[in-house]
Amino acid sequence: MSGELKDEKAPEMPKVMRSPRNLDIELTARCNLRCRYCYFFNNPAVEYRDLPADEWLKFFDELGSLGVMSLTLAGGEPFIREDLPLLLEGIIRNHMRFSFLSNGTLITDKIAAFIAGTGRCEHVQISIDGSCAAVHDTCRGKGSFEGAVRGIRTLQRHGIKVAVRVTIHRNNVHDLENTAHFLLNELGLPNFSTNAAGYMGTCCKNADDLLLSTAERKEAMATLLRLSTKYPGRISSNAGPLTDARMWGRMEEARGKGEPAFHNGGRLTACGCPSTKISVRADGTIVPCNMLSHIELGHINQDGLAKIWEDSPALNQLRNRHTIPLTGFEFCSGCDYTAYCTGNCPGLAYSITGTVDHPSPDACLRRFLAEGGSIP
Amino acid sequence: MNQTDRPIANPLVVLREEFDDWAVLFNPDTAEAVGTNPVGVAVWKRMDGKRSLADIVSEIKTSFEDMPEAACQEITSFVDRLAGSGFAGLELERK
Repeated sequence: MSGELKDEKAPEMPKVMRSPRNLDIELTARCNLRCRYCYFFNNPAVEYRDLPADEWLKFFDELGSLGVMSLTLAGGEPFIREDLPLLLEGIIRNHMRFSFLSNGTLITDKIAAFIAGTGRCEHVQISIDGSCAAVHDTCRGKGSFEGAVRGIRTLQRHGIKVAVRVTIHRNNVHDLENTAHFLLNELGLPNFSTNAAGYMGTCCKNADDLLLSTAERKEAMATLLRLSTKYPGRISSNAGPLTDARMWGRMEEARGKGEPAFHNGGRLTACGCPSTKISVRADGTIVPCNMLSHIELGHINQDGLAKIWEDSPALNQLRNRHTIPLTGFEFCSGCDYTAYCTGNCPGLAYSITGTVDHPSPDACLRRFLAEGGSIP
Repeated sequence: MNQTDRPIANPLVVLREEFDDWAVLFNPDTAEAVGTNPVGVAVWKRMDGKRSLADIVSEIKTSFEDMPEAACQEITSFVDRLAGSGFAGLELERK
C-alpha cells in the first residue's frame, strides 16, 4: 500500500557534534514589555532570576574552549542589561559570533555603535506584529510599535543586519498585506519571517483571544502564500501558517498520489535541535531548548557543558525522539497523513498535551481539516 | 619585512573537531567556515610559524599511512586556500 513506512526498523540516532555549535542564551529574565502571547513569562517551571555578569563571562570562557561558534542572545529583553557591552566583550574574546532576539525598544545609538564595532553580530531580530501602532500595540503595549521601529532604524543606520519576525495572531491576521508592505517597502528590509502565537507561557492565559481560529488560520495561509508570490524569496517561516500551508500542501499532494512515505515522515522527526544546539535559562539552568525549559540538564559553571552534551540521559532521550513512530499514538490512529507527518515541535506538544514525546496537536493536518479547514 | 615560507594559523580561527574525524575551521570575524579531514587538522595544528611548508608535509607523510603521491600538492593547495581566505598567513622574517 502506498504511503506506508517501508522500513519499520527505527533509524539510528543522528550523529552528534562533539560540542554544540550554537547556544540560545536567555541573558535576562527582565523585560520592559508584557506581550500577551509571550512564551517566556508565566512558565511555572522557570525561576525568573538574573545572573551577574561574572557568571556569564566564566561560562563564555567554557564555551570558547569547546569551540562554540555563535550565541543567540534573548530574554526577557536582552537590551535591558546595562552590562551588555561587558558581556559582548566576553563573547568576542572567546571567538564567538552573536545575534539577538529583541523587542527593539531599548536599542540606542550607543549600543548599536558598540555592536557594529564588534563586527561579530549576525543580526538583531526585532518583533514587529503589524503595519501600525494600532495593530502592533494590541498585544505588546502602548508605544511598543514606535519603539520597535525606532530600534530598527537605529540598527539600519549603523549597518547592522535586521531580521524582523512577525508573530501572527487574531489581532493582526487581517493586516498581513499592510505589514508586508510596511516592512519591505517602507522600512526597506530585504525580507522578514513569520510564525504564529503558540499555546505557551503567557499565551495560555490569553489563548481564546489570540490563537488563530481555523478560519483565521486558513486566511493567514492563503494571504501568506499570495504575499510570497508577490514578494518572491522575501517572506520565510520555520513554523506558523506559511509553513503549514507549504507542508500541508505537500502532504495532501503526496497522500492524493499515493506517494511513498517522506524520508522523515512517520516518526517524531521534526526537531533536530538537540544535535546541534542547547539553551541556557536566565538563572543559568541548562535546558535542551527555550521551548522545553522545564527539562533541567544542569547549571552553568557547576556542571560541565561538554559532559551534559555527551552524557545527559534527558538530552539523549530527546535525540532519540525521532525513532518514535506516529502509528503508536492513539492521536494518530487511522490517519492518512502519518507517513508524511513529522509530529512537529516537541515544545508545543508538551505545552498542549503535557508530554514531550507526542505529536503536536497544533500541527495536525487531519484535525485542521476536520475542523473545517482547507489547504489553499 | 619579507614573508617566510612558514605558514601560521590565524589565532582567531576556531578548530571544531566534529564526528567521524571531520572538522570545521571557523573564522568568527567573517563567519566563514572550511570543512576538513584528519590530514587537514594535522596540517592546521602544525601551522605555528616555526615549521616550513616542507617541514609540515614531511611530518604529515610520516604521521599518516598510505599518503598518496599527490599529498604534497594537496597540502600546499590546502594551505594556499586557507591563506587566501584569511584563515592563515605566512610568518614574517624576524631580524
